[in-house]
Amino acid sequence: MSKMYYVPQGNEIELFKAAAGMNLPVLIKGPTGCGKTRFIEAMGEELGRDVYTVVCHDDLSAADLVGRHLIDENGTYWQDGPLTKAVRNGGICYLDEIIEARKDTTVVLHSLADYRRVLPIDRTGEVIAAHPDFMLVVSYNPGYQNILKGMKPSTKQRFISLSFDYPSPEIEKQILLKESGVEDSIAQKLVAIAGEIRRLSDSDIQEAVSTRLLIYAGKLIAHGFDPYQACIHSIVESLSDEEDVLEVLEKLISLHFTKSINA
Amino acid sequence: MDEKVGKFWDHYVTKKASRLFKEEEIVFADIAKRLKLFYHLLGGEKAKELHITDKRSIKTSRTLLEKFSGTGKTFFLAWQDEKGIYLPSSLSYFPLRAYNEMHYYWLIAMLANVNIKTKKIENENINAANGLIEKYAGFSEFYAYAHPFLITNYPELSTIESSSEGSSADNYPNPLWIYPSLSTSGKLLTTEDEEDVERQNDEPRKSETLQMKKKSEQIDDKKETDGLLLFLPESILSFMEQVRVDRQENDSFDEDALYNAEDLDEITLGQKDANLSARIKMDLDISANSIEEYPLGKGHFIDEWDYKYEVYLKNYVCIKPIVSLHTEPIELPKRLEKMMRCIQSELDLMELDRIKRDNLPYGDEINIDTWIDYKGHQNRSNHPQRFFETFERKTRDMSTLILADVSLSTEAGITQEIRVIDMIQDALMVFSESLHRLQDRFAIYTFSSIKNTKVNFHLIKNFKESYNDNVRGRIHAIKPGYYTRMGAGIRESAKILEKQQSANKLLLILSDGKPNDVDRYDGRYGIEDTKKAIEEVKQKGITPFCITIDIDAKEYLPYLFGRNSYAVIRDAKKLPKVLPEIYMNLTK
Repeated sequence: MSKMYYVPQGNEIELFKAAAGMNLPVLIKGPTGCGKTRFIEAMGEELGRDVYTVVCHDDLSAADLVGRHLIDENGTYWQDGPLTKAVRNGGICYLDEIIEARKDTTVVLHSLADYRRVLPIDRTGEVIAAHPDFMLVVSYNPGYQNILKGMKPSTKQRFISLSFDYPSPEIEKQILLKESGVEDSIAQKLVAIAGEIRRLSDSDIQEAVSTRLLIYAGKLIAHGFDPYQACIHSIVESLSDEEDVLEVLEKLISLHFTKSINA
Repeated sequence: MDEKVGKFWDHYVTKKASRLFKEEEIVFADIAKRLKLFYHLLGGEKAKELHITDKRSIKTSRTLLEKFSGTGKTFFLAWQDEKGIYLPSSLSYFPLRAYNEMHYYWLIAMLANVNIKTKKIENENINAANGLIEKYAGFSEFYAYAHPFLITNYPELSTIESSSEGSSADNYPNPLWIYPSLSTSGKLLTTEDEEDVERQNDEPRKSETLQMKKKSEQIDDKKETDGLLLFLPESILSFMEQVRVDRQENDSFDEDALYNAEDLDEITLGQKDANLSARIKMDLDISANSIEEYPLGKGHFIDEWDYKYEVYLKNYVCIKPIVSLHTEPIELPKRLEKMMRCIQSELDLMELDRIKRDNLPYGDEINIDTWIDYKGHQNRSNHPQRFFETFERKTRDMSTLILADVSLSTEAGITQEIRVIDMIQDALMVFSESLHRLQDRFAIYTFSSIKNTKVNFHLIKNFKESYNDNVRGRIHAIKPGYYTRMGAGIRESAKILEKQQSANKLLLILSDGKPNDVDRYDGRYGIEDTKKAIEEVKQKGITPFCITIDIDAKEYLPYLFGRNSYAVIRDAKKLPKVLPEIYMNLTK
């Protein structure tokens, strides 16, 4: 099996490995599409651990994480949730967008995320000591927070924090070349476009263009699409619905990938 | 008849002399918003604003026709200073709209790349242009078309290339270039001008209200001898080149001077102070403290951010907490009761927004999970047997501080009878009533300032006091104050809010305009200080949110608060209704 492709942005791999070695939980922050999930998967592969991913939502209950009783023809039986599975068998339990989950849900993590490393299951009366290879990783995107949603400081302060951002232009170009198979000059231009759009962010558009979107654009171009069209459909239209913003982004794309001005 | 012929001739000659393509013109106002976005895209400073520039006269060699018609002497040039960037109100150098539009984008791109402080305009412009051409295929295409086109159409331009030395003012101005700011001191006169800016072609066109920058030049006129007229009698009918425009005093302005200013290309600013009587009037405008205002202590000092030096001015602003005493307690006014009933239905909906609680011995519904759990339990008699679940209202761990800007501008009328301040009062009443019914904790403060030495911070209701008739009385007694030193108001509120124990803290700012004060707290200085204050607030774990009735607020609020943390209300009359709604949406 080919190894998962991941280019480090800084010291995150060393940090993650050290945290894994010392059984410390990790919190990853970063904007959408900057490589958080990819990083966890790559690290899972690197460390030889399974990754149990739970995408959090506001109806996620503790039972969804820990497990619940189910019924079959023989009566009821206990079904482990993803968290319990990881705790028992070892592996990385990755809670994506943890902020979306209700605050009382994430409290079940507390005893796992500190020195105790145990998961008490009150339904079955079990207290599971975590497998030595168990690792807890959570992530969130500081960009879109509801005023009332946020992480409890008591949860937040149990983690080693890694802050992710979009990769630097050189690294991003490398990623583009590898992931989309696009030409060098085009990758260069895509990265330049991204750099410019990211200057806007916050005040003018909701969130800047992600590396993921650039890869989409690159893939379309590599597939033979006209670069201008590819960018319009993968980058511009995904970022905003406001007419003025669309217009300006379109202009920017047309400056990089010319569409004849007379057309 | 003579006049008619003259006019006709003038029109004809100007048109003949003009080398512009009016049919393909692009007007700045139509694409202003896009240009601003584009400016941000290319890395321009976000605090700078985009303006329309006035024409500048430049000594050039003119064609015979131009000399006849009187055109070709003044130009609309793109330039910038530390506060903003200035662009021509319309562009029509090229015979195609697409190129004219591109011309604007080109200028913006140049503005974002040219170093504002440089002395060598030629080098800087050529470097910036080359950079753009290299980086953007689209610009390279545009330049490849525009440059030769301009040179053929304006042969005078070619001299620039040949003479790299020498003063740029003697050359024909290049429409593709960025020019330095007019006055080195950065002092510019802004006139609110409803007149036509575009007189280059003597074509009377209607144009919107424009913020025009007039060329200003400071001269020393303090030695001017009083009473002695020193001018030649024959010049009596012409405009004097030196107009006394009073900058010290904002209240009154000489309309004649303003009128003349429109026609003069250059305004000379005098440094003479306004006369004494005017100054006295200024002071009298600010009435002495009324009796019922009771200051809470002598006031204390807080910091302010100076963006130019990037330092905090320690203990620079004096905050004076004040409470109004002896206000008459009042009940909720009748006119608001109807609105309150309307809002009440929405408040009830809020209560529908509840959370599920399970593991209850009794409740609305059976929780199937618990039941299965019971079925699978080894020792059933030991099971708590709490099978029920119910929906309960969310406990809202919220503290909200409402900070209302009650500057003098709130005195302005919306209709004949209603002033902005009335709407703010109504809004505060309805809002307090709503929060009271939701049982959320809240406090209300208002602020207004006169320079850094006096920022009045009125207490209307603090967190401890319960909501009652006295609070309504104080809301009713709110009067318009002076100016808006927003950063100070925000910092002071954050201090109060920080002490609250709630998990969620909301700072709701009610404003009617930009931060401003009579001293330098205006324009970018005020914006940057306010932005800094907002950052501090966020660091303290407080969520700021701004509600404004300033329609132009979209220009600066996203920069101050971030995209999702403000709301612009177009119709101030809707404020009382909308305010509770916004709050409910925020805290759902």
